[in-house]
Amino acid sequence: MRQAARADEYAEFAAARTGHLYRSACLLTAGDTHLAEDLVQETLGRLYVRWGRVSRVDNPAGYAQTVLTRTFLAHQRRRSSRERAVEAFPDVADGSGTDTPLRLTLMQALGRLPAKDRAVVVLRYWEDRSIEETAGAMNASSAAVRTRCSRALGRLRELLGEDIGESARP
Amino acid sequence: MPVDQYSDPFEEQLAVALREAGGAFDSPTALAAAGRARGDRMRLRRRTAIAGGAASLALVGVGGALLAPWGGKPAAGPSSVAASGSAKQAAFSADDVVRTLKKLLPEGKFTESEARGTSEDLPPLAVGVFDDGKGEGSVSVGLARIPANGGEITPSTAVMPCPDGEQTGLDSCKTELLSDGSAITVYQGYEYPDRREDTKAWGADLVTPAGHHVSVIEWNAAAEKGKPVTRPEPPLTTGQLKTLAAASEWRRIADAIPGEEKKPVSPSGSSARPAEMAGWLILRKLALLLPKDLDRVRNGSQETGYGYFVVDDGKGASLVQVNVQPNMSDVAGSLYGSGAETLPDGTRVSVKQGPGEKGGAGVVMWTVDTLRKDGLRVVVSAFNAAEQDKTATRAKPALTIEQLRAVALSPRWTATED
Repeated sequence: MRQAARADEYAEFAAARTGHLYRSACLLTAGDTHLAEDLVQETLGRLYVRWGRVSRVDNPAGYAQTVLTRTFLAHQRRRSSRERAVEAFPDVADGSGTDTPLRLTLMQALGRLPAKDRAVVVLRYWEDRSIEETAGAMNASSAAVRTRCSRALGRLRELLGEDIGESARP
Repeated sequence: MPVDQYSDPFEEQLAVALREAGGAFDSPTALAAAGRARGDRMRLRRRTAIAGGAASLALVGVGGALLAPWGGKPAAGPSSVAASGSAKQAAFSADDVVRTLKKLLPEGKFTESEARGTSEDLPPLAVGVFDDGKGEGSVSVGLARIPANGGEITPSTAVMPCPDGEQTGLDSCKTELLSDGSAITVYQGYEYPDRREDTKAWGADLVTPAGHHVSVIEWNAAAEKGKPVTRPEPPLTTGQLKTLAAASEWRRIADAIPGEEKKPVSPSGSSARPAEMAGWLILRKLALLLPKDLDRVRNGSQETGYGYFVVDDGKGASLVQVNVQPNMSDVAGSLYGSGAETLPDGTRVSVKQGPGEKGGAGVVMWTVDTLRKDGLRVVVSAFNAAEQDKTATRAKPALTIEQLRAVALSPRWTATED
């Protein structure tokens, strides 16, 4: 019976958090919605397998986000060890007709960042995590996160200009 | 961190822009369900990883690679936890497992690539490169405990079975009983059943009467997949494999694996339900029922209710799976519609031929779903791919509907002697 209750609890959690995880994954993958879907499935799968423990952590939603980030980074690692120079980023437009100039511009800019830098940006500015929390999620030191963050901001500034909204206007 | 703490207006703008752009991505409706399905497969994988045969053991590598990045290692420091009370076993860290393997290996250098202790979600494991001076090979030891579930463990049935027939894909395979009642299967096979690469995978699979499960595998390459063959044969002889698997050190570590949570055992008040069929038993029955001319590439099972073989008739791999569920009479109406056939003994049979359920490109699923009068449901499905979520590798499944029907309707599913 406990197992059934647990399954319900997981289902409730998944229903509530999947949308947000997917949006985070879309940002992490710089708009590759197929990969984003795969990462979210993998993340949810992992959470499901260890739900007994996950449900007892203070902040399962934050934990899910951490799992997503690590799943993404592991995917990038595997990809870069198997294929060389993956510089081609997928088409950003997902055909749903909801693409705004801002989204396109931003996804393109994110796509030009190294994966780890992108993860730092997403955790810091989309998830509103502190440097320390970001470091924890990425298994990295705070110093490394700070370095990546300032490098990523510099690059995004170059790509997007000082006024982000302005750069997206046609 | 609240947005207003960003020191730089650009950071603030970036946060706003991300929110706007990210918020516009609409999540596909079935994503949560797909995540759960993935979780089910992971569970299956982690069970088959330890319970399966030579080929499915390769999945240890797959699962490990997927989970390692966040599985992490146990904290440093004293690895043994003082026993509190009588039941609690000391924990062993990943380093302890590696140290044990190093101690038990013959002379040479072992370099760890992955390891887990007893306090992690997945079973203890040590994998790495082993060089005895004659070239690099790799060695993996996985440990598990087979739950007794109230009954006794019969090592000879729980240990990895040697495949029947001549075309087994193995150069040798032998199961024997040791003097302490343990059963051990020692085999010499290949990492790729189709031998597209010459990587040899040799192993020993041991089950003790107390339910310790030790699985040792070795390869004549520095990794099970993706590394060139570096020596003609894996580093340990079959005799050494046997000695390594039988070492008592592994049993001590396996004892420290926390038990599965107790399952509700026949809750009082409800009438006794027929027990779920153990996965290994399903596998055994299925092994006896599959046409003999099919090459069995790999197999696996869940603890209860599910087992599968990947078979090959020479035209490519085909997954054949069986679900066995007791006490399903109450759902007969919804499961077997008007199109279902009813046999003279009251067994209902429904046949479906359609696309696979898990998204593999071009995958078809042929299913014979049967429900006996006593409520035992046996569902046999075959696919034109080795995995449901992978691209189809052949036009049709390796078994015909007639053959699937014969498997599903076999009296063997209700026989007690298997």
